Amino acid sequence: MIGTAHDIMSKVTSPRAAFVDHPVGRTFGPPHDRPRNEIVLAKALAEVPYFARAGEIHNLGCDWSPDGSRAWEDDLRAEMSHDR
Amino acid sequence: MALEYLPIMAQNSAPKPPRVLVSPSKPAWCPIAKPVSESRVALLSSAALRLAHQTPFIPREDSSYRRVPSDPGAGEIIIDHHSGIGKVPKQDPEIVFPRTAMARLAEKGTIGALAPFHFSFMGGLREHTKIENVLAPAIVNDLKQAQVDLALLVPY
Repeated sequence: MIGTAHDIMSKVTSPRAAFVDHPVGRTFGPPHDRPRNEIVLAKALAEVPYFARAGEIHNLGCDWSPDGSRAWEDDLRAEMSHDR
Repeated sequence: MALEYLPIMAQNSAPKPPRVLVSPSKPAWCPIAKPVSESRVALLSSAALRLAHQTPFIPREDSSYRRVPSDPGAGEIIIDHHSGIGKVPKQDPEIVFPRTAMARLAEKGTIGALAPFHFSFMGGLREHTKIENVLAPAIVNDLKQAQVDLALLVPY
């Protein structure tokens, strides 16, 4: 599994879980960014041999903002509020 | 620190009770038999996605699945999932279903081969027993028939 919601991933026992610190719904990057899609996917596949047991979550080191900003979280909360 | 989604989901679903998260009843661990570079790989997506000519998913408790050709040229991807976060991935489904990137990695030899099909189903179903006893075994059967070595689930 490759996912963006670490808290949810930690509550379901998946055989191998790779975490990317992106907004939910953008697991492989922003729209139309093919190089980034490929980088994230390649990192996830490269991690496969390193899992030892079910339930482990490995952080792929993929951050959404190059400067480490987490401003995207507020935008995402607003977006998710439309899910009511 | 990673964003916590469960409180947001609980707040947005109120006054309905929060969604129940369920782990598989049996341990789901399968040893890796081959290097990734020799493996046939498939994507599994819970975005309820399909090609335009395939039967649409029915919100919200549709427990069927679609086989989506792994060839990126096979046609446009439609996302039927009802989630509010769908606005962005519907602009570019590749950000939740990296069909093109997977094909590129096959060309480069990063993976051994593409499975002929990827698979998609509706995420967020509440009938957990049906998922474990009907939906998952049906997809596993298709994966075995296609001799898939490695399946990567992308939750939506």
